[in-house]
Amino acid sequence: MSASVGLAGLVKRYGPTVALDGLDLVARGGEILGIAGPNGSGKSTMVGVLSGETPADAGVIEVNGQAWTPTRNTKVAVVHQEPQLFPNLSVAENLLAGRERFRFGRPSLNADERALVDDFGMLGVVDRPLAGLPLSFRQRLEIMRGLLQDAAVVLFDEPNSALSFEESAELFENMHALAAAGKVVMLVSHRLSELATHCARVAVICDGRVNVELTGDDLTPEQIAQELVAGIVVAERTSSEWDASGHLALHLDGWTHRRGAFHDVSMQVAAGEVLAVMGVEGAGGRELVRSLAQLEHATGSLTCAGRVEYVTGDRTGSLFSNLSVEENLALRMGGAYTAPFGWWRRGASRAAAAAAKERFGIKAGDVADPIGSLSGGNQQKVALAAALMTDPAVLVLEEPTRGVDVGSKADIYRQLHAHARSGRAVVLYCTEESEVFECADRVVLVSRGRVIADAVVGDFADVEELARHLSAVTRMDEHLTPSGSPTRSMPDGANEE
Amino acid sequence: MTGESERLRQPRATPGSGIGSGTGTKRAANSLLGTAARLGGLVFAIALVMLFFAIKSDGLFLKTNNLLGLLRYMSSLAIVGLGLTAVLIVGEIDLSFGNLYGLSAMVAAVAWIEWEWPLWMAILAAYAAAIAVGSFNAFFTAVVKIPSFVATLGSSTLILGFTLYVSNSNRYDPRYPPPGKPDVSSGELSFFRGLANQDLPGDLPMQVIWMTGIALAFWFALRRSLFGFRLKAVGGNPVAARLAGLPVMRYKWFAFLLVSVAASTAALLDFSYVASTAPDAGLTLLFPTFAAVIIGGASLQGGHGTVVGTLLGALLLAVIANGLAVTAAGAFAQQMLLGFVTIGAVVLDQFTQRWRANR
Repeated sequence: MSASVGLAGLVKRYGPTVALDGLDLVARGGEILGIAGPNGSGKSTMVGVLSGETPADAGVIEVNGQAWTPTRNTKVAVVHQEPQLFPNLSVAENLLAGRERFRFGRPSLNADERALVDDFGMLGVVDRPLAGLPLSFRQRLEIMRGLLQDAAVVLFDEPNSALSFEESAELFENMHALAAAGKVVMLVSHRLSELATHCARVAVICDGRVNVELTGDDLTPEQIAQELVAGIVVAERTSSEWDASGHLALHLDGWTHRRGAFHDVSMQVAAGEVLAVMGVEGAGGRELVRSLAQLEHATGSLTCAGRVEYVTGDRTGSLFSNLSVEENLALRMGGAYTAPFGWWRRGASRAAAAAAKERFGIKAGDVADPIGSLSGGNQQKVALAAALMTDPAVLVLEEPTRGVDVGSKADIYRQLHAHARSGRAVVLYCTEESEVFECADRVVLVSRGRVIADAVVGDFADVEELARHLSAVTRMDEHLTPSGSPTRSMPDGANEE
Repeated sequence: MTGESERLRQPRATPGSGIGSGTGTKRAANSLLGTAARLGGLVFAIALVMLFFAIKSDGLFLKTNNLLGLLRYMSSLAIVGLGLTAVLIVGEIDLSFGNLYGLSAMVAAVAWIEWEWPLWMAILAAYAAAIAVGSFNAFFTAVVKIPSFVATLGSSTLILGFTLYVSNSNRYDPRYPPPGKPDVSSGELSFFRGLANQDLPGDLPMQVIWMTGIALAFWFALRRSLFGFRLKAVGGNPVAARLAGLPVMRYKWFAFLLVSVAASTAALLDFSYVASTAPDAGLTLLFPTFAAVIIGGASLQGGHGTVVGTLLGALLLAVIANGLAVTAAGAFAQQMLLGFVTIGAVVLDQFTQRWRANR
């Protein structure tokens, strides 16, 4: 029997932010439904609601024609980018956890379960602990867990961003097999060409609702790219003239990641320039940017005009929740506020913090307030200000405006430009064309560990044109080198701790 | 354990959500009020317990002599506790300071009495032992990166074994050297005894003066110096600290050195006061010190802890220990009450924190 799932009028609010704004979507068994949307469009909230991790505020979900309330681990199986399993248990134990049939003794699989494990080619490792198995095995395990609890819907959430080329191909085979068996298969992805190749239909989500559904001839990567940016209100391009004849702030030559996320990258950043490095998750762009701040190991030649400061995209990586706004701002300055014997000149630090609050437009009652009392956008401004106050020659940022409101976004872009134009360089890692268009002078596109495009943003009339261009380049690159060089990487930091 | 760290641990990439949310000024006021309420509550609890013992002991508890003894006991707890506060702030734990306390005093005693070293060298040897133990703990925690709970649990029993070896399981008293050993010089003896025994106005114990000085130094280091500030940052968010380029390893190392030196200092002062030391002298110090520091507001999650809180925590525990002794309640009562107060204080704190967060 073919399954179906329908979402009608889903609403979810986080405080004043509307994540889902009456989302309607119907998915039928037998097809792969693609879901695309920019960051913050409500995509992940929808995944959360379907999987039962996030309760919706309003709306109806129907599974096989019957109203259904999402609870954890039923009907909808989610295959995560980072599988949520038990690394300390074996494959068999993972399959059984939560649905054990025994009180005493060792967990063992029954015949049906063994057959399923065999289907997925994992019988050989059934007693091995999960921790030692590759990511693709862990994802297959998540699929199996879903099938065993008789899920009608299997939802793939950015599943192959850290998989190699061959592993991805296998994953897509599995998806098609699931669809052929009548399951509803949904694929959430940033990789537009894969959406176009494997999906019968792609729903583009913007601002918490489905903006458009593409099928048939309309379903091309370029078209998706255009729809993705079409729904976003793109702010005025933050740009100003600058003297491009200046010296180089950063020069890379033969720059190669030790774990293979990128190879032989050559890149130059002029003083005064804001450069965006773009690429989908797993393409190597993030690792490239992090390697500039020595957070990833890479070899080759790196020449830099001075100190590099780095700000994470995730505020938990750049701010200290137990400190005040002032203390967060002062942290990177360190020595500037110390007098002999390590005396910390509180007055100087407070004055500098107050000045920074003014200069960066940080909305806070007092600089002595705890950092947690600020809104997300203002917290991000504090993180940025803390780095900018040290006046680095190169400022490196990952997705600086993720989860930030529009007003703060413009403030942040202005600060980045002001810093660059004072003869420094700013390098951003972006996943959204709109951010590139709004903020960067030049964009470098990374795919499968190589730079495949290098374009001046000012040459494009609007963000749609930029998005079309970048997606065309990606497609051409994939056609030219179909097998590609398999890239497989995890950020270094994940393994070091 | 605190609301803040819980919130940080589950980051949600939802638009507009930050590390925390809420209106700024209200929360700031709440946080200030929270600190005041916490210390105020502690002072109130101390007063209440003192009142209880005063009544129960028919005023014996409030006799000057008794209160001075109480302060002396508090001094040892507070000195070691301040060191432990630094370790908890940086997000680590130390279980070995109790046995290091025993080792330091024993090293000084053996070097001075058994090996006939001059006193100043014996004291230096005690501190050398402290630095060695602190570095040992720090090496396995910060460099080898095994959990400090395991590293210091192991080093704790290692130290006890070493103390028993060095002392040959003997008790040492400088006034009565073991057979075949000459008396220590009377000048050295009176200097050493003088470290913790001085005629001060009002019969104030000398150790209280030491405690006050050390507390002031800690207050400056933790509250008014770059070191304390960064220590708090490293404990609050080690990942961000590493990304911001702070020398995380060095700060952890230094925190372990601080608690070790503090434990040695307390050990030498107590040795000077009672003029005798045994290998297991520090065994009973471990729990009350932890209790004092945690009651004082330090968090095992790191990033929190104050000098004033730790001092008040030490005072509360000293009051309880002394009061139970004065009322002759028996050893069992002290142990049971100690456990009860520790858990009670932390539960109460968590409760009020949640209440404040939800308001």
